[in-house]
Amino acid sequence: MKRLSAFLTLLRSRVKDLLSSPRLLSAIIEGGRMLIAILIAYLVAFMVIGIVSDDPAMAIRWFVLGPFSSATEFGEVLKNATPLLFAGIAACLIIRGGNFNMFTEGAFYAGGLVTALVAIGFEGPGFLAIVVPLAAGTLAAMLIGYIPAKLKAKYEVNEFVSSIMFNFIVMWIGIWLISNVVIDITSGDNATAPIPDASRLRILIENTNVTTGLLIALVIAIIAYLYMFKTRFGFRLRMTGDNRAFARGVGIDVARAGISSQLLGIGVAGLGGGVEILANYHRFNWKTLPGFGFDGFMVAIIAKNRPLLVPLAALFIGYLRSGADLMAFNSDVAQEVVQIIQGLILILVASEAFFSSAWFRGLLAKRMFRRKRFASATEVDRHA
Amino acid sequence: MSTPILRMQGICKSYGPGIIAADDVSFTVDAGEIHALAGENGAGKTTLMKILFGMERPQSGDIYIRDERVLITDPNIAMAHGIGMVHQHFMLVDDLTVAENVILGIEPKKHGLLDREAARALVRSMAEQYDMSVDPDSFIRDLSVATKQKVEILKVLARRADIVILDEPTAVLTPQETKRFFEQLSALRKAGRTIIIITHKLSEIKTICDRITIMRKGRTVGTYDVASISEQEISRRMIGGDPSPDLIPEPVDPGPVLLSVQNVSCIAPSGKFALRDVHFDLRGGEMLGIVGVEGNGQRELVDILTGLRTAYDGTVILAGTTLRGMSIARIRHQGLSFVPEDRMTVGVNLDGSLLDNATAAIRDDRSFNVGPFQADRKLAAFARRLVSRYEVQHDSLRESIRHLSGGNMQKVVCGREIGICKTVLVADQPTRGVDVGAVRTIHDQIESLRRHGKAILLISSDLTEIRTLCRQAIVLHQGEIVARIDDLAGCSEEELGLYMLGLKRQDGRGATS
Repeated sequence: MKRLSAFLTLLRSRVKDLLSSPRLLSAIIEGGRMLIAILIAYLVAFMVIGIVSDDPAMAIRWFVLGPFSSATEFGEVLKNATPLLFAGIAACLIIRGGNFNMFTEGAFYAGGLVTALVAIGFEGPGFLAIVVPLAAGTLAAMLIGYIPAKLKAKYEVNEFVSSIMFNFIVMWIGIWLISNVVIDITSGDNATAPIPDASRLRILIENTNVTTGLLIALVIAIIAYLYMFKTRFGFRLRMTGDNRAFARGVGIDVARAGISSQLLGIGVAGLGGGVEILANYHRFNWKTLPGFGFDGFMVAIIAKNRPLLVPLAALFIGYLRSGADLMAFNSDVAQEVVQIIQGLILILVASEAFFSSAWFRGLLAKRMFRRKRFASATEVDRHA
Repeated sequence: MSTPILRMQGICKSYGPGIIAADDVSFTVDAGEIHALAGENGAGKTTLMKILFGMERPQSGDIYIRDERVLITDPNIAMAHGIGMVHQHFMLVDDLTVAENVILGIEPKKHGLLDREAARALVRSMAEQYDMSVDPDSFIRDLSVATKQKVEILKVLARRADIVILDEPTAVLTPQETKRFFEQLSALRKAGRTIIIITHKLSEIKTICDRITIMRKGRTVGTYDVASISEQEISRRMIGGDPSPDLIPEPVDPGPVLLSVQNVSCIAPSGKFALRDVHFDLRGGEMLGIVGVEGNGQRELVDILTGLRTAYDGTVILAGTTLRGMSIARIRHQGLSFVPEDRMTVGVNLDGSLLDNATAAIRDDRSFNVGPFQADRKLAAFARRLVSRYEVQHDSLRESIRHLSGGNMQKVVCGREIGICKTVLVADQPTRGVDVGAVRTIHDQIESLRRHGKAILLISSDLTEIRTLCRQAIVLHQGEIVARIDDLAGCSEEELGLYMLGLKRQDGRGATS
């Protein structure tokens, strides 16, 4: 009995220590904040579904539970999450470096196109049939992305504007190519020749559309984490992104760090485009920008720009989208409802003051003071 | 005289668990007095005043003005209650005139348009009433620091403030200006205004204040009549113990010239000379003080020496190599390190952790890298040594540096820079806004660096600091060296003040160092 109570006291003090560690506390607060944001967003979405649908219960069931109804459906979640993962990592690298280069969008397009073309033309042996096209797509995207990055570093051209313009330049060149130069007439579409089977990514889980692309994405996420937090280059990138004046003062070449942050992000996006094509397409036939680049910034913001949280955020958005697909297919609600949820979550997560850690801390501090005042009152008594 | 005009009661303010800025603070000010709010930095003085001025919200506590409970949630409400604050950093628009600055937000109007003549008349009449001569039509950018301060005070008075809060008002003034400033404060008191001065300069409290409230570690120690308490007693209550004995610099044999500045000039954006023919040599084991009112070329000199500014005339030679064309990284590689004046933006990365900030300058060092990766354990060990050597109060190395007090932050900056210094340390206001204990730590470390044969350039607007640490100094006025002083002990503060104001200069005298 005595031993038990001693053990309990020890346990209590351990838990107390753990709870009072500021890092854990802020992690809990951040997690709670995210949860509240998601709940509010869902609530609003349910209200909308309730208004527009004749059978809201059915629609909501498909929306929320549909993705878990079978392995195949859950596979769709993973499939949807894969390009978002690439895009999210890309955005992380760019944002943490203090940039807002939107060329990740064009990089997806360019990466996909060049990967497809090299896969068709190269036909190398074994795994080279996959690695070489992907490498080529990545490099091509970085090559184009170097222009807005360099323009910013050298002439302070706002990279947000120039990179969006570059997206359209790349897209229209691509459309011209697949409509005139590399068009395969037998496809009956403005598309390239079929991608050889040797270059296509293998299915990872049976009965699903999940390919080895997911593994590549996860490896990239880990590499990005190691790069950003475990190497001196990553340190330069983070310091430059946090505070240019400080970074410059401690001897970091901020122009170079800025360019490398953008180039790496764009490279990851280009790779994401290549993986998307080799995983899910028979031919390259994109006639609009895929939208993944922009989605990436959303994923990164939800993941608080932490590479290791990006997979979670990508998975969540992938889940939302597969649910919306299933709901649109099985009920009378359009899948655009998902945009409401995404938008709301983004606004709530991005608005710093919403249930901010300061708000929570204020609450905690109030309790602390109440306790303390009691303590100091007794102290005064003792002195008296 | 003894009716309280302001009463703050039970004020609690915390910035997070464990970070308590004000812990059940009570503070009472009588009408028509000059009340000093004293304490080390981080004691909670500024926080308390920010709460009074509506810039911060306390978690609990009440504010009474003339025995009436008020809720101050933003500075406009504070002003409506007759509270005005002059911040340490002036909040003036450089490209507007004095009159325009004073009436900004409370413009007198005629037919819906700004009435400039009324604005000028207002400034003139107030200037006369309070004995603060200032030309309503001159532009702020052309004014001296002391005049800018006058404008700030007029700005507050024009908003009919009965209670004027001054945050460290004399930090930027020369001894002569300070004296004049006190006369103006007395005039204000005579006119029935109540003044609260945030300060930690004991002599000033003794000269000008009626009563003093001392704060320590977020609590009020007590309120006293200044006449009935000695300077030693004030100091003891501020620190919570006896002050440590004075630092006495030991002379060492001068080493080789490590920094040579030869005829350096540069031009300010206004087209005037920011620096003009500045030349001096600095040897190992020497500490040279740069004296001058802020804005007389110190910033430009520091920027040139540290590589932040590359557009200048003349030559700078650092440890035998010319500085021209060197990147900041190269300059640092040559062993020059610097403590920047602007701690919050250049000194630390507020978004980074304590570890990031403590180790920022050694990340490229070979011994802290293993292949492509950083030697995390070694970095942590380095940071741990730094925080223990400088007694940095902290919870963990991974915590955000934002949670540290200003003094602890500055200790991190100084530790980082002093630790890697191999030839020259440029210390720009190394102890501004730092509490007494931290000042001593930083001074000791700088002094020990000098004793180890490094050359130190100390830029400070605090004459006491320069006199404590340096034997030699140069005085800058409008970018020129107006005086070179070989032995500071033989030069009075008044004389330094005359040089700083440009009222006196030694011409044709050779360099000291």
